[in-house]
Amino acid sequence: MSSRFRKARAVWGLVALGLFAACDREERRFREIPPGATALPAVTQNDANQPGPFIRDPEIRNTYEENAWAISEGNWLYTQWNCAGCHSPRGGGGMGPPLMDSLWIYGSEPENLFQTIVEGRPNGMPAFRGRIGNADVWKLVAYVRSLAALTPMDTRSGRTDDIHATTPTPQTDANLPMARRIPPEQRPPGMEAP
Amino acid sequence: MSRHRALAAPIAVVLGGCAGRQAALDPAGIQAERVMGVWWYMLIVAVVVFAAVVGAVLYGALRRRDGSADTVEVEPARERWLARWVGGAVAVSLLILFGFLIVDFATGRAMAVAPEPPALTIDLRGYQWWWEARYDHPVPSRRLTVANEIHVPVGRPVRLRLTSTDVIHSFWVPNLRGKYDLIPGHQTTTWFQADTPGVYRGQCAEFCGHQHAKMGMLIIAQPPAEFAAWYERQLRPAPDPVDSVRRRGRDVFLSGSCVMCHTIRGTPAGSQAGPELTHIASRRTLAAGTMPNTRGHLAGWIVDPQRIKPGVRMPPNQLSPDDLNALLDYLGSLR
Amino acid sequence: MSFVSLSLSNRGPRHILAVAALAVVVLALGGCRERPSAHASAAPGADTVDARPAAAPGQVTLPAGITPAAGDWPMPSGDFANTRFSPLDQIDTANVRDLRLVWTFSDGNKQGHESAPIVIGSTMYVVSPFPNYLFALDLTRPGAPLKWSYKPPYLSAAKGVACCDWVNRGPAYADGRVFFTTLDNQVVAVDAEDGTEVWRVRLGDINRGETMTMAPLVVKGKVLVGNSGGELGVRGWLTALDAETGRIAWRAYSTGPDSEVLIGPSFKPFYPQDRGKDLGVQSWPPEAWKMGGGTVWGWISYDPTLDLVYYGTANPGPWNPELRPGDNKWTSGTFARDPDTGEARWFYQWSPHDLYDHDGVNEHVLVDLPVDGRTRSVLLRPERNGYMYVLDRATGEVLSATPFAHITTSLGVDLRTGRLIPNPAKVPKTGKVVREICPAAPGAKDWQPSALSPRTGLLYVPFNNLCMDMQGTQANYIAGTPYLGAITIMYAGPGGHRGGVFAWDPVARRKVWSIDERFPAWSGVLATGGDVVFYGTMDRWFKAVHARTGELLWQFRTASGIVGQPITFRGPDGKQYVAIFDGVGGWAGAVVANQLSASDSTAALGFVGAMNDLKQYTEQGGTLYVFALP
Repeated sequence: MSSRFRKARAVWGLVALGLFAACDREERRFREIPPGATALPAVTQNDANQPGPFIRDPEIRNTYEENAWAISEGNWLYTQWNCAGCHSPRGGGGMGPPLMDSLWIYGSEPENLFQTIVEGRPNGMPAFRGRIGNADVWKLVAYVRSLAALTPMDTRSGRTDDIHATTPTPQTDANLPMARRIPPEQRPPGMEAP
Repeated sequence: MSRHRALAAPIAVVLGGCAGRQAALDPAGIQAERVMGVWWYMLIVAVVVFAAVVGAVLYGALRRRDGSADTVEVEPARERWLARWVGGAVAVSLLILFGFLIVDFATGRAMAVAPEPPALTIDLRGYQWWWEARYDHPVPSRRLTVANEIHVPVGRPVRLRLTSTDVIHSFWVPNLRGKYDLIPGHQTTTWFQADTPGVYRGQCAEFCGHQHAKMGMLIIAQPPAEFAAWYERQLRPAPDPVDSVRRRGRDVFLSGSCVMCHTIRGTPAGSQAGPELTHIASRRTLAAGTMPNTRGHLAGWIVDPQRIKPGVRMPPNQLSPDDLNALLDYLGSLR
Repeated sequence: MSFVSLSLSNRGPRHILAVAALAVVVLALGGCRERPSAHASAAPGADTVDARPAAAPGQVTLPAGITPAAGDWPMPSGDFANTRFSPLDQIDTANVRDLRLVWTFSDGNKQGHESAPIVIGSTMYVVSPFPNYLFALDLTRPGAPLKWSYKPPYLSAAKGVACCDWVNRGPAYADGRVFFTTLDNQVVAVDAEDGTEVWRVRLGDINRGETMTMAPLVVKGKVLVGNSGGELGVRGWLTALDAETGRIAWRAYSTGPDSEVLIGPSFKPFYPQDRGKDLGVQSWPPEAWKMGGGTVWGWISYDPTLDLVYYGTANPGPWNPELRPGDNKWTSGTFARDPDTGEARWFYQWSPHDLYDHDGVNEHVLVDLPVDGRTRSVLLRPERNGYMYVLDRATGEVLSATPFAHITTSLGVDLRTGRLIPNPAKVPKTGKVVREICPAAPGAKDWQPSALSPRTGLLYVPFNNLCMDMQGTQANYIAGTPYLGAITIMYAGPGGHRGGVFAWDPVARRKVWSIDERFPAWSGVLATGGDVVFYGTMDRWFKAVHARTGELLWQFRTASGIVGQPITFRGPDGKQYVAIFDGVGGWAGAVVANQLSASDSTAALGFVGAMNDLKQYTEQGGTLYVFALP
């Protein structure tokens, strides 16, 4: 066996090892609190318009947005805590405004959404202060932003198993009620075509 | 079974630790007894076969050492004799295996059908990582929902309808019944019967995530009258708090994060994301069989569940000492 | 009687659903003995006319003591019998094509306008959607200028618990006062002359999800009002307030123990399944009745001879029926009560253990008509489950239940037991998607009220033609948030039209004509002495059709889609006027009124699935249009 061949094998082995090393499992933080999640900064801004010179908002990075597990937990909470009842399971809205479009009444930044959930909003959004822990609020924020495609692509869920998975059955002639498909002369007495 | 037990006395001594409230060798019902019958049958046959094989090997080895020169002589008579032995051993093996099949099949058949119409039907649902049991009843207002602790009357078959809300779990109470899977989106039906009163521990037997190991439950078999009394007590809504501390505890529950996930019947708390707590103080364990239900354990659980059961969906709760004490008082009053 | 279908099923390759559909018809007709066979024409396409003669003139009459609204229009339903009929005949089938717009009025609100104006003497009163402002318009002066307005204080947060847009269904007038409800659970009495507040009371709590949208009915000095919020686990009730003081005279809950439902010794339901002690508790899982729905937000009728009020109770909560085993009394049914004490006299449940959010709140039209050769006092009820019921209004007995829509959800109504027979193949389950549920959650006919003309003997019914897919999920009761347990997607039923209006002959029990519309006919209907029927469409047409043939006689292009209730009145100048609000909205119009995402078929509890093209036809609005002949 030539030494060159042995060397090539060693190189390929190292490459394979490196590939396996990349198979790192996504971290699931159960107790750690994500950065910026302990408390809301004193100033959060809901309006782009402000008098005088521009003051920069403190930027808050919600690290849950980069974590697929946290977003899926946010999805679970969104369903369990009846967010879906008002904003629809996919964020199309209903009793509440839609969350999947680009129109955000009170801002789309993570801190805006955090504030919306915790403090409520005057047109019907309930305040969940004291009801939902900060970490869970941030998971909800990550999920809501993922509905509007504001989070990294690789952490968003690719498919659902639910009612959306197939399109509704179109009503064709085959689906017409029996009564319509029976010729009038064959219908039993008294039968109506609704 | 007692004959088997006598025959295998030495092994039983070794396995003495297997008796108790989560032990397949200590059956408390007809289903578990049948499973144990198969177990003993297989064990004894296996021991006999093992002994025979080891004996044969030893015999061969010793005989070779005692034997004459290392010459290989081809003797037709000896060849025939060897062939008969090998053929016979294969036939015996097949017979033994076929016997296993018959015993296994017969036991499976016997276990599938309840001997009489079940006295009770329970819908058991698996969650990550706890159990919910809904007792069926023809009168809707007498349907009972409990979590992690199932009471059943002794000597009556109980029908179980199993399903899961998230991933596959498996119902396994070794003293009462072998494993049976809970499958999301699908209902499976089985039954068991407890013949001896007692407390039996169940365990999820299908890996279901981080806290699979801490997904336990208790099945408490009681004489029918005791069971009926328990059922009546559980059906009642939670008692109203009688003093100011417990009233404060209830307010902490209703205004805090508890109300988002738990039900206490008789109060506006009606969420089913977590186990229902109407009579939490009457239960023996907390967090799906993870720890005994004491005030200290409950306090630790409320404040920091992630230390006890990391990954569980219950969030940590920062409560003032007074609020926590009031909440513990209130929950402790829900007997 | 129902098994005629079996022999048929052997003839050809009929699958089980088809047999079931046939069974629906045959079963429902089981009760119709000695009646000529009827084949109503139902071919798709507008203005279908049946050549057969309608009910003989004079067969269908208004009950004794009912005076139809002539001149004035004192309540949204016109009269106590809920006929929405006016004998005014200046506008008739010949001259209706000359109708002209006379004046308009905007209330400055862009949500769904389901409200009906009322007219007393020379003043018109209108209530806007939330925040519910009351406007009085002076009809004696040209252009009907504003006389006064009344603006009650309001809780903005109420918008967050209103299931289906922030609608109001109109004010009511009695004894010099105008009464109306507000979304944030207030009932207000305002002096009809000068607009001062006489009393204002708050009857519910938005933190428990309660709202109020219905039009009150004033009977014998009592203002009857109910709550909304069946999608939020609200416990429904009907409350009678003293019209003088606003104090609660009685309150009848729709679930719970007999003492709170006001069921006493005089309660005599016709069917045995409704008799028993505390059925409002027994027919629910423990404590579930406390969050069980049965809200009262529809129409109330009153029979002065029998001295009974009739009203329906809404769907049980949550939607997912698996979570509430039992008949869930007294939801999705109709109560007859004594208006003085509130005591229940009878109850009939349209949908025991409701499976599809089929609220039982539709109107009851009280008429006397021949049944089996004998004139009976009945109520007509176009029900959400797709059957046209005829009930004896003294006893609650079902005299007939005839399907008027495409039904897959039930196999018929058993006239012996009075029970609806659900189709087992369409029962929703947790974690499963059940497809082709027809009628869908809003029913074959929702709140939109029908009209009855004693001149033609026909009932004019605005209908929906919607089916849905439904998936049951877990439901968590968290006070003040939705309590549903279901995901739904709606879509058009057979034919592709999503609604329309049909004329129903209640004696022959068949359709006389039917008009298909692109969208559900979410507006009320008005019938007049000139044999003209008025209604509005969500794609911005206000239409007048011939009461006998359905022929389109006149139409007017409004600014926004119509979900309101047309009315007619005689002005101080003696001329007949017709009025209608535009302003699309309500549950059906939420995709426009609340600016929802049309791409999510599950939005607005699944209604957006059927209405995703509504934005192409209309925007929001809120204008009152008043028409007259030149």
